Amino acid sequence: MAAAVRRVLRASRAWSAAPRARAAPGAQTLRLIYTTTAVQKRNVAASGPEKYTEAFIKNQIEEFNLGKRHLANMMGEDPETFTQEDIDKAIAYLFPSGLFEKRARPIMKHPTEIFPKQKAIQWGEDHRPFHFLFYTGKQSFYSLMHEIYGKLLDIQKYEDHLRAQSLLAENRKLINLIGSRWLIKEELEEMLVEKLSDHDYSMCIQLLERLVTLPCCGIEEEYVLKFRRELSIQLKKMVIEPLQYDEQGVAFSTGEGKRKTSRATAVIYDNGSGKITVNGVDYLYYFPVMQDREQLMFPFQFLDRLGIHDMICTVSGGGRSSQAGAIRLASARALCSFITENEVEFMRQAGLLTADPRVRERKKPGQEGARRKFTWKKR
Amino acid sequence: MAAPMAGRLAALGRRLAPPARAWLPGLTQVRWSRYGPSYLEPEVNKEVYRKPLEGMSEEEKTEWELKTLQPIKATASNVTSSVFSDPTISKFTNMIMKGGNKVLARSIVTQTLEAIKRKQIEKYHQASEEERESIECNPYIIFHQALKNCQPIIGLCNVQKGGKTYQVRVFADRSGENLAPRTAAAEAGKAGAQAWNANARWASFMQSPLHQESALRDPSWQDQAENPSCCSYFSASLG
Repeated sequence: MAAAVRRVLRASRAWSAAPRARAAPGAQTLRLIYTTTAVQKRNVAASGPEKYTEAFIKNQIEEFNLGKRHLANMMGEDPETFTQEDIDKAIAYLFPSGLFEKRARPIMKHPTEIFPKQKAIQWGEDHRPFHFLFYTGKQSFYSLMHEIYGKLLDIQKYEDHLRAQSLLAENRKLINLIGSRWLIKEELEEMLVEKLSDHDYSMCIQLLERLVTLPCCGIEEEYVLKFRRELSIQLKKMVIEPLQYDEQGVAFSTGEGKRKTSRATAVIYDNGSGKITVNGVDYLYYFPVMQDREQLMFPFQFLDRLGIHDMICTVSGGGRSSQAGAIRLASARALCSFITENEVEFMRQAGLLTADPRVRERKKPGQEGARRKFTWKKR
Repeated sequence: MAAPMAGRLAALGRRLAPPARAWLPGLTQVRWSRYGPSYLEPEVNKEVYRKPLEGMSEEEKTEWELKTLQPIKATASNVTSSVFSDPTISKFTNMIMKGGNKVLARSIVTQTLEAIKRKQIEKYHQASEEERESIECNPYIIFHQALKNCQPIIGLCNVQKGGKTYQVRVFADRSGENLAPRTAAAEAGKAGAQAWNANARWASFMQSPLHQESALRDPSWQDQAENPSCCSYFSASLG
């Protein structure tokens, strides 16, 4: 009945003078209003980003699991033990793509990784929001701050309670924060499913730091640890090659290093006399400048192994200082095989095992150099 | 007003862990670096690493553990762990350097130190037995003392009173540390330019008042309030 009226309106595209609204039993009387198709069409832009309902996501997950089993059967593998890596390999095999952009190639991943996490509808049928902080715009963030502050006040109350019984000195409980770091802004945004500004993030971290400084903060340890991430020991990330032995039985080890555009390889032999050969030439002739020779000797001097090792290195590219830096890194890496783990950690803290990431900055258009601007002329 | 705010922000920055420090309000990163914000400065001094782990206090142990978890920047090209590398000398060489000619700058500084040593040894051999003990032959010590003598005692600061801005003399504590090598280099350059114009060898700036007077005088002249700035002293001695 309503559809018929709409059709009449569409055909006429104007206000029709003779409305004939036959009231159906229980239906409202319809009133004709002046409309055009432009108003009746759904405004795609104003509706915001596409919203995925929970039922839709659940559907997608079921389809994904079914598809995973089908894929496993197709590839002849066991459907029970088919991991994500196997899926990736299977898709790459079945749909080979030569596209350069990896993100444009066909993928089959769990729907939670594909569809962005969205908040459920935050208001009920009466259009009143569920959360009391909904109208702040950032309800999860402000409720989190509220919660953390509540915990801070609880800890202070507990401390006052202990202080009244003069038991505060013995019952100090601190949280061990070494070996972990606070969440970064992106991780916090992911946790709250909300966009944060830098100011908000710093406020949150400051409040957490304040909570952690209280003497009895151990009460809320598991809550605070939710906001910390483990930091791995840097030394574990380094790979130390074992020593190799040549025909005479002399131990040697190789290392590679780079700095700016120079690339160097160094081979360090044991039972040497401190001779260094660079590209077939003695280092005194290859590096006439004292500073470069000091840099070559730096790792040996740091470990007090100046006259013990022999070094043969090859280097190409770059200028004299960057070649010296590349050889320094290569020799430091090669020396790691000869020394104890503690000494490797000392070398790392002295900055010998880090590849210098500084490269020449490009010149920008509208400026004379990388940073230098053209002379400013008033007119 | 600005000072307590800056102090509070600095205290906050020290309290916050390195990943969060980049996001402090009011402290935006103007100069970005190829290293991330969590990279620490390298420690080259070998003595620091000779101490055993058990012999350290609680604070040092926590500092050591923190250091093992953070990445470290690469050491610069002019820094080594040898006893001959001096951070003040390196800084001075960089200040003297023109057009990136580090070779020339370093050779100038080395020859200066050598000349100081030669002069001192000459004096040492010509002096009597009692005076020999007071003659300092180490050119590095003389250089450091010279730089310390170049530090200004008094600085000027603007005070607004009654609508007018007056430049009032104030005691300068640590603000002169960066100024000292610059002043020394500038004065040495001036003396050297004068000598060059007078058709003398360029190396004669080593004979300039910078090394003779400032390095070897005793610091009692600092008590003289009438002669606050070292620049006026230099210009007096140059003339």
